[in-house]
Amino acid sequence: MPQTPREIVRRCLEFDFPERIPRDLWLLPWAVTRYPETVEQLNRRFPSDLATTEYFYPPSPRVKGDPYKVGYFTDEWGCVFRNLQDGIIGEVEKPILESIADWKLVQPPYEQLPADFSEPYEIIARYYESTDKFVLANICPRPWERYQFLRGTENALIDVMMPDEGMVDLLKVIHDFYLKEVELWATSEVDAIRFMDDWGAQQRLLIPPELWREYFKPLYKDYCDLAKAHGKFVFMHTDGDVSDIYEDLIEIGVDALNSQLFCMDLDDLARRAKGKITFWGEIDRQYVLCSKDPQVGRDAVRKVCSHLYDPAGGMIAQFEFGAGAHPETAIAVFEEWHKWDEEERKTVV
Amino acid sequence: MDDLLKQLALCIERGKASKEAPYPPDMKGQDGASELTQQALAASISPNDILHKALMVGMNNIGEKFSRGEAFIPELLISAKAMKAAMEHLKPYFDSGVAQHKGTIVLGTVAGDLHDIGKNIVRMVLEGAGWQVIDLGVDASTEKFVQAVDQDPTRIVGLSALLTTTMVNMEDTVKQIKQKYPQAQIYIGGAPVSKEFNDKIGADGYFPDPHSFAKHLAAQASK
Repeated sequence: MPQTPREIVRRCLEFDFPERIPRDLWLLPWAVTRYPETVEQLNRRFPSDLATTEYFYPPSPRVKGDPYKVGYFTDEWGCVFRNLQDGIIGEVEKPILESIADWKLVQPPYEQLPADFSEPYEIIARYYESTDKFVLANICPRPWERYQFLRGTENALIDVMMPDEGMVDLLKVIHDFYLKEVELWATSEVDAIRFMDDWGAQQRLLIPPELWREYFKPLYKDYCDLAKAHGKFVFMHTDGDVSDIYEDLIEIGVDALNSQLFCMDLDDLARRAKGKITFWGEIDRQYVLCSKDPQVGRDAVRKVCSHLYDPAGGMIAQFEFGAGAHPETAIAVFEEWHKWDEEERKTVV
Repeated sequence: MDDLLKQLALCIERGKASKEAPYPPDMKGQDGASELTQQALAASISPNDILHKALMVGMNNIGEKFSRGEAFIPELLISAKAMKAAMEHLKPYFDSGVAQHKGTIVLGTVAGDLHDIGKNIVRMVLEGAGWQVIDLGVDASTEKFVQAVDQDPTRIVGLSALLTTTMVNMEDTVKQIKQKYPQAQIYIGGAPVSKEFNDKIGADGYFPDPHSFAKHLAAQASK
């Protein structure tokens, strides 16, 4: 009997020989609007094995506008974004906290979390029953990104060097909210909890690794511990060169990591992390997916697979079809992944 | 004199802006870049010597560490803050012409792009290397860049972009400036940008980090 998408992903994460490499396509409105036929083709030929549960919090009274439209958008924390391009998210124009001394002014959106979660649990459970896909919780805690939204990136990076001046306090306010969210979702009918934060610059970690370990790693460990206590897998996304913290993320229990593999040395990454964590994609967005030459996409997939593929598991074929990506290259990426998978399995037989 | 300038250079490198600044913890209570610059001026050390023998030395040291992977972005930023604190005291000398910058660079994030952290880091490093920087901000149109060069055609131009959808706007800006000022030096930077892209759009150079850009400019200026 063929394995269901959920089983394929589970086996992949547990290195228990899934029948094929699981797939996951990330779609940004930018691509959906511009290339509906390509999106339809990708979804039809290479359906994702992962899905996000379809429970959404009630609309927050603080939210104003559409994050993916040109103009201004206010999110549930009160951060105001300015956007110049339809289909992508803009940038915070003016951080709420000009001075870190004002950290007490920040009010996390607790009003969004239902006081009684029994109805959401039912909706989430119904969704889980209705699909054979691997289901991710519809949350994405991001303590560092939220910190930057509240303080501005430049201030946030400087705050890290003077943590006792208010950074630790503000981080706790943010983290307490996310912990509450993870706690609610970890007890619901989902397969995995996910969180994110972009920790890499183009060539190294954004901040000194020892500071990351002291102030940020414990936050993610809290999320992992909660998820694991309820038998959930843990998925994380982080952009940039994060090779310095790969082992840390493995240690705290991240099962699948979506990182910019092409910013890092794949030989080195394979030596240190292959077989210990699942590489949740990805194919490079900066140079590969925006290429008009589909062969560039095929070569990129071969490069990733030749370094990180393991028939036991540990790899999810994933990329983001987003701003600047070329439709033919996007299709070529999944075609090549499929081709590699078939070739490998023939070899094993 | 040497000891004072050495201590000032160390304050810049370590990011000690002033006596009351809490960072770095091991220099708590000590005079910072602000106080030491005032002391240097009071000791009749020339503003140019303060800039070249202390401030630029400190920024160069942290820049070298950054290039070698021994320092990170927050350390660069905090050094730049210390540099700024020192420069406040030197500003009148630059305004009156007693002290001189190496030249002027026009920096901006290109049209359609609102990301500024990369550009801001480059600005701080270049200021720390002795350049005057005119920052056109984010979403800077081609016209804005051309107008800035119109005011002084010797100005160097630096274009920044973070998005693959906006880096294409660099091409138009380069083309328009070069059409009017074929000798203009235009450099590009940003996460999706590469040497190949630089060559394709006819810009004069791409640098993966701000310090290597500053070193290139210094070498060009000394020719």
